[in-house]
Amino acid sequence: HTAEAQGALKRTISITKTRMTLKSFLENLENQSHAKFIYSPSILKSHRTVEVGVLTSDLEHVLNEVLVPMDIDYKVEGEKILLIQNRQDTKIGGKIIDAVTKQPLPGVSVLIKGSSNGILTNEEGQFTFSAKVNDVLVISYVGYVGQEIKVTSSRQVYNISLEPTTSDLDEVVVTGYSSQRKKDLTGAVAVVDIGQMKSQPAASAVEAMQGKAPGVQIITDGAPASTPQIRIRGYSTINNNDPLYVIDGVPYEGKLSWLNQADIESMQVLKDASAASIYGSRANNGVVIITTKQGTTGKPAITFDAYYGTQDPRNGSFPKMMNPTQYAENLLLSFHGEDPGSSFTKLYGSGATPVLPEYLLAGSKVGLEVTDADANPSLYNYTRDNSTFYQITKANQTGTNWFDEITENAPLQSYQLAANGGSDNATYAVSAAYFGQNGTIKHTGFDRFNFRSNTQISAFNNRFRFGENAQYSYSENYGFGSNVNTPGTYQDEGSALGFAYRIPTIIPVYDIMGNFAGSKGGALGNAQNPLAMLYRAKDNKNKSNFFFGNIFGEVDVVDGLTARTSFGIRYENYNGISLTYPNLEFSEGSNANGDSENQGYNTEWTWTNTLNYKKNFNDEHNLNVLIGTEAIRNRSRQLVGSRNGYFILGNLDYYYLDAGTSNITNSSTGSVGSLFSIFGKADYSYKDRYLLSATVRRDGSSNFGSAHQYGVFPAGSVAWRLSQEEFMKNTEWLTDLKIRAGYGITGNQRIPAFQYLDRLQSSIGSSSYPIADGKGLVTGVRQNAFKNEVVKWEEVRSLNIGLDFTVLNGKFDGSFDWYNKKTSDMLYPVPLPSVAVGGGSSPYVNVGDMENKGVELTLGYHYGREDDRPFKFDVGVNISRNVNKVIELAPGVTQQIYGNFRSLSTTVLKAGDPFGSFYGYKVAGIYQSEEDLANSATYTDARVGGLKYVDIDGNGSIGPEDRTVIGNPHPDFIYSLSLNASYKNFDLALFFNGSQGNDLYEATRYFTDFTTFDGALSTRLLDAWSPTNTSSTIPSLYRGASDFEYASSSYYVQDGSFFRLKNFQIGYTLPAEHLFGKAISRMRVYLGATNLFTVTDYTGLDPEVSQEDSTFPVLGVDRGIYPVSRQFIIGLNVGF
Amino acid sequence: AFSCSKSFLERNPQAELTYPQIESKDGVEGLLVGAYALLNGNINGDWGNYASAPSQWLLGEVAADNAHKGSNNGDQPNMNLIEQHKPTSTNDNLQVLWNRSYEGIVRCNNTLRILAQLQAGSGEKFDDERAIQIQGEARFLRAHYYFMLKRIFVNVPYVDETVAAEDASAVPNDADVNPKIEEDLQFAVDNLTDKFNNEAGRADKITAKAYLGKFLLYQERYDEALPLLKDVIASRPDITSLPFTDNFDVTKENGPESIFSVQHTINPDGTGDNGNVGDMLNFFYGTAPISCCGFFQPSFDLVNSYRVTDDGLPMLDGTYQDNPYLSDFKLSGDDKSDYKVDKNLAIDPRLDYTVGRRGVPFRDWGIMPGDGWIRDPGFAGPFVAMKHTIESSQFATNTVAGTQQITGLNVNIIRLADVYLMAAECQTELGNLADALQLINAIRERAANLSPKEVDGTPVAAYKVKPYPSFPNVDYARKAVRFERRLELALEGHRFYDLVRWHVAKDVLENYSKFEGKYLSISKNLSFQDKNTYYPIPQDEIDRSGGALKQNDGY
Repeated sequence: HTAEAQGALKRTISITKTRMTLKSFLENLENQSHAKFIYSPSILKSHRTVEVGVLTSDLEHVLNEVLVPMDIDYKVEGEKILLIQNRQDTKIGGKIIDAVTKQPLPGVSVLIKGSSNGILTNEEGQFTFSAKVNDVLVISYVGYVGQEIKVTSSRQVYNISLEPTTSDLDEVVVTGYSSQRKKDLTGAVAVVDIGQMKSQPAASAVEAMQGKAPGVQIITDGAPASTPQIRIRGYSTINNNDPLYVIDGVPYEGKLSWLNQADIESMQVLKDASAASIYGSRANNGVVIITTKQGTTGKPAITFDAYYGTQDPRNGSFPKMMNPTQYAENLLLSFHGEDPGSSFTKLYGSGATPVLPEYLLAGSKVGLEVTDADANPSLYNYTRDNSTFYQITKANQTGTNWFDEITENAPLQSYQLAANGGSDNATYAVSAAYFGQNGTIKHTGFDRFNFRSNTQISAFNNRFRFGENAQYSYSENYGFGSNVNTPGTYQDEGSALGFAYRIPTIIPVYDIMGNFAGSKGGALGNAQNPLAMLYRAKDNKNKSNFFFGNIFGEVDVVDGLTARTSFGIRYENYNGISLTYPNLEFSEGSNANGDSENQGYNTEWTWTNTLNYKKNFNDEHNLNVLIGTEAIRNRSRQLVGSRNGYFILGNLDYYYLDAGTSNITNSSTGSVGSLFSIFGKADYSYKDRYLLSATVRRDGSSNFGSAHQYGVFPAGSVAWRLSQEEFMKNTEWLTDLKIRAGYGITGNQRIPAFQYLDRLQSSIGSSSYPIADGKGLVTGVRQNAFKNEVVKWEEVRSLNIGLDFTVLNGKFDGSFDWYNKKTSDMLYPVPLPSVAVGGGSSPYVNVGDMENKGVELTLGYHYGREDDRPFKFDVGVNISRNVNKVIELAPGVTQQIYGNFRSLSTTVLKAGDPFGSFYGYKVAGIYQSEEDLANSATYTDARVGGLKYVDIDGNGSIGPEDRTVIGNPHPDFIYSLSLNASYKNFDLALFFNGSQGNDLYEATRYFTDFTTFDGALSTRLLDAWSPTNTSSTIPSLYRGASDFEYASSSYYVQDGSFFRLKNFQIGYTLPAEHLFGKAISRMRVYLGATNLFTVTDYTGLDPEVSQEDSTFPVLGVDRGIYPVSRQFIIGLNVGF
Repeated sequence: AFSCSKSFLERNPQAELTYPQIESKDGVEGLLVGAYALLNGNINGDWGNYASAPSQWLLGEVAADNAHKGSNNGDQPNMNLIEQHKPTSTNDNLQVLWNRSYEGIVRCNNTLRILAQLQAGSGEKFDDERAIQIQGEARFLRAHYYFMLKRIFVNVPYVDETVAAEDASAVPNDADVNPKIEEDLQFAVDNLTDKFNNEAGRADKITAKAYLGKFLLYQERYDEALPLLKDVIASRPDITSLPFTDNFDVTKENGPESIFSVQHTINPDGTGDNGNVGDMLNFFYGTAPISCCGFFQPSFDLVNSYRVTDDGLPMLDGTYQDNPYLSDFKLSGDDKSDYKVDKNLAIDPRLDYTVGRRGVPFRDWGIMPGDGWIRDPGFAGPFVAMKHTIESSQFATNTVAGTQQITGLNVNIIRLADVYLMAAECQTELGNLADALQLINAIRERAANLSPKEVDGTPVAAYKVKPYPSFPNVDYARKAVRFERRLELALEGHRFYDLVRWHVAKDVLENYSKFEGKYLSISKNLSFQDKNTYYPIPQDEIDRSGGALKQNDGY
């Protein structure tokens, strides 16, 4: 370098024009720096321009800023500066890592745009490569945001951090039997954000899906490991509405409590027929596709994730009950001046004001009868012999808060260790995990151990691939009513929770000697001590060994044609033990004690074979054709045995059936079924602009007789990507815009088997008779089921129109869907009159139509993501509305009332109204006076102070025909809002969800608001109607109330809308390299809280009320639900 | 699985049979046993079969003047409406009776249909003797189930073995089924001989004659009924030689007095579906050795009807309602705790073998303590029923452990005393008062044999029951025979049906309400209309029939 030219490089240059040709730019530089540029005219091309902006700097800096990016190198030669257009191959290299975990990413594709030159990163995430300056490197990797980087002459090393995808268009999603880019989807598919899901503690992946996919309604309860209720686009049938799960390609129906949420790689919800009908006869309720984590090439990436927390039962939301003084006063008033009877007076005296007794019970003496001599503790005898049982129980005059007594703060914990890696020819992903959740209801809980191994091996130059996905899960449920196989018994009137509503508050938890107290005695009703129930069930246990997985092999037959076979298996082996103890403190107690055990298995194998042909013609036509067959066969068998009469109680080592001496029972049951299907699918796109997809599946099912054994389910969909059209090319703010439309047919065959056959039964219970001498039984035969030979598939026809958009380079995105689903030939066990079937079961017939119409909207805003700013902020909103209507029932059947709980019939199936509509009398107020009674329509034994109903049929009296629809359990809309932010090493997640406009049926009022049974009374009644409180809408308490008063009415129906902060989490990623050297590549700690607050007007315990099953699903009827708890956790994610 | 054989999709039901598998002699015998098996009103399980109980405690007794539903007001409210003659078509009890009865009919029809197929086929078949006997048994049972329906609902659809299930739904309820019942019973009388295999639970010629006699009595065809009833009486020992208590003794079942009884047993595995599930609610509350729900409490009116005149005769004029005996009802304080049973109360001894009352030994259970066994005495009075209970010494072998309110005690549908009294009724209506007198006095003579209940070595009541010296006229005889029927057969499920067929239900029950309503509000101000002699057709059945079934008048 000569001094002159070097000096020129330091000379200050000032540029004021922003845009000019390269030629005039260089002339300008020469003038200001007095340096001379030497260059080939080709550098200038003809109109090559530069954009500089206002700039004042030295020449060297200006050249670096402006020319180097144009791949023009400069060299100082004496006084001259040589400019060289750089077009040689340069050797470049680099390392690609995960932007979050800082782990190297092996197998990432690095490709020169517009060519087939490319390479994959090695196991250290590194690549080396020859490229020309100005080439654009396309870096892409499934699950990450792709990047494009221009090769410049000055840079040889390209270390790139890839951000995991959140809602990127190029994300590849698994649909039916194949995968597609998300941007190419033509049907309604909700892609669940797994990242968000994982930030929430949950036993079941379904629970964590709540609010994260539009159109998917999830209702959770607080029972340990319960699988929440999931409904995709409403209720499509009066039968089972659970979706089909497809896990690593293997269909699965059932509960998901065995699956470890942390093992899930991706989750898609196929919502409309055009997406789901490839699953044919099992797709009516939607399909949830779950893919577990697969191995990736590279050195082992080891992660450890853990959280520990506590769950708080939200005691404050339990309805308030009267204290014993209030209770006794109100009970006495309820007799309306008539003699309250000896059972009342024994407890509370016969005076005008009740007195609370000191003792409730001493031997056979009750309440005020108990003398000091009776209460002498030496008489106390707690035994299982009813004749000598002598219990002494003091009254709890201040009142027992039963909900507090049966609940507690309970721990929750989860640990997972996973490793993932592999070489070019083999990859693996393995994990082991433990999840433990104690119930907030005492003495209940769940433990689960998971092991997963997914491997894939390729051979013959990657033309042949085979592997396996295997999951083993061991789980244990313990305590009252908990069983992952048959959930639900933990929440009804016979559950501990149900009794917490019913047991009088004057009863203490324990008697004077610390044994359980109860309702034995007078006027204390027939509720059980719920804590006693829970305690006695603490050793009840249900264990499950669950294996689920598949082995597969695939071969590339010729270019583009892949044959694949997969054999999947589900094998579940479970056993349970349930103990009964004497409960003589209970007014309807018994001294029975016993052990009941069950053992059983469920198996299902699925053999799937597909041929897939993929071809791209002229870069313009993309074709993907798939054909396949699938055979499925299942079998289950269960053995149950029980005995009573154990010599000693409470000793788990002694509880074997052999040791029991009475009530010796045993039984076994089983089921079989098979399905055989052929299917095909074709996806075609032209220039990424016009997308077409067609599927068809023909299913044969063992559930149907020869008349209709097979069903055919076709679907088609189209999409138009407007943003690829020439006329939209200049709309730069619009990154992607696509309009979709699809129509198709799906089916349902999920009914009890063998409806096409008359079936008979020979059993001790139903068809035997001690005919010989009134002693030994002779077994006979009865017909227990009647046939419908022509029973066939239930069908849903659905039309979906949608729009997907991404604008401002991914800053905003969203989608909108409108759909109309019509169910026809609904499988319906129309009850035949007894004259035809006696007490046997009527067959399913195909009658009835149902309709679901709805719209779904998803909006996302992503700040700082595409330009990788330190502060990133995401907002997501989902809103879905589904309107359900029963169009038609069986001929001649206009309505069917069901949901019979005690004397309540809560629900009706009625043409023209939503499925599961609440049914009963419409409350018009309270009968205010005798005149009011005389001038109004009345029912038998109507009275002043009692509920007054609307005379629907106008005949002047109230009777069953005046019942009408009094509420709709379906929400007007459900919505969710998620906020995610990160700043440098901090991250924050907030997730809200809500339901608006749904009604709930607070059936617990049957017990707490009326004197149907002696039991706790709600404090609501302190404001009941009286001649001096005439504006009250709460009927006065009356012991002799007509059953019309507590019949199903709008008195029970409440607005169930709610808005809930479902999840809150704040995390901090430690600068791990400073702490542990290279041993730890990533370390994040976080604090989380769920259900922090709930906004609702619902007067019951929790506004999330899942369905119960009666004749048909009963929606939104609260008979004592297991409330969701408030959870606080601390967690740790470590990567090695 | 690329090409799958069709059989892959053909699976067989699990633990169930299909028709080809039972088209055999064993199959037909099995179907027949199944037809008998419904006599206890229960398909399987145990709770819920109250209205179809063979004892007919609810519809036959609670609906009449003999008993209250019991328990408390809020328990089984639909039963209150039956007690108060305010049934609606949605009352679940009516549905239970309707459904169980047709289940029995379906079983009879299936037996007859498969029998006919078997006999018409070419395979192994029954000899003619057994074939016709099976027909006789099945048709007898079918008549019984239709009779249960007819008494309650009057207008019911009739299907026999020739009607396929898919056509049965459309059969209307507009024809009288009595001729069909009569045809079946007559067939049984004509073709049945002795009990098949000498099995006690089976119907034989005598059973059929008794049933046809009863049926004809309900039609007031006294001259046709009488010879059948006489045949039955002639086939058995003199009733005075047969202990009254044997009828309600689980160790003496199927004795000479049993004509047609429903067989109950505890299953070999200890469960109860074949026990007496219909009466399970009727065990007592509180501290009783078998404790349950406290239903079925005898009325003050029934208890007082056992009071006798100085002549040891019933108070036929209704004066038993004067100065009634109320046990410790409504007493309080010391009066209550120190209450002693009145040992001077003059009563028919059958009272203390029918009703449990305070201070009187109850079977071998000890002395009945009063309210300690009763759920809500203010609601349904101080008494408990006895005939459906068993000795505590039999609990171990004849109750379901843990659910001891299910017993193995048989229930009499027709017993010999009933036949005597039915025959006496025929004789009275036919004007043969001497013959009627003899029959009634035989019953009373037997009642006098009952041993007195004693406490501390002395009888707890002034027991007295004497024969009628004579029947001065038909009216008197009629009163006597009807009163005797109440006393002898109380709480056995006859009373309501008797009141209806005697056309006195309105008078008797409204009078009962005036008396009983003084003490218990559930009985207050009852009115009884013509439509209350029958019940509404269950609404569910009408809804399911697609219009074939019409509701009964008045509902």
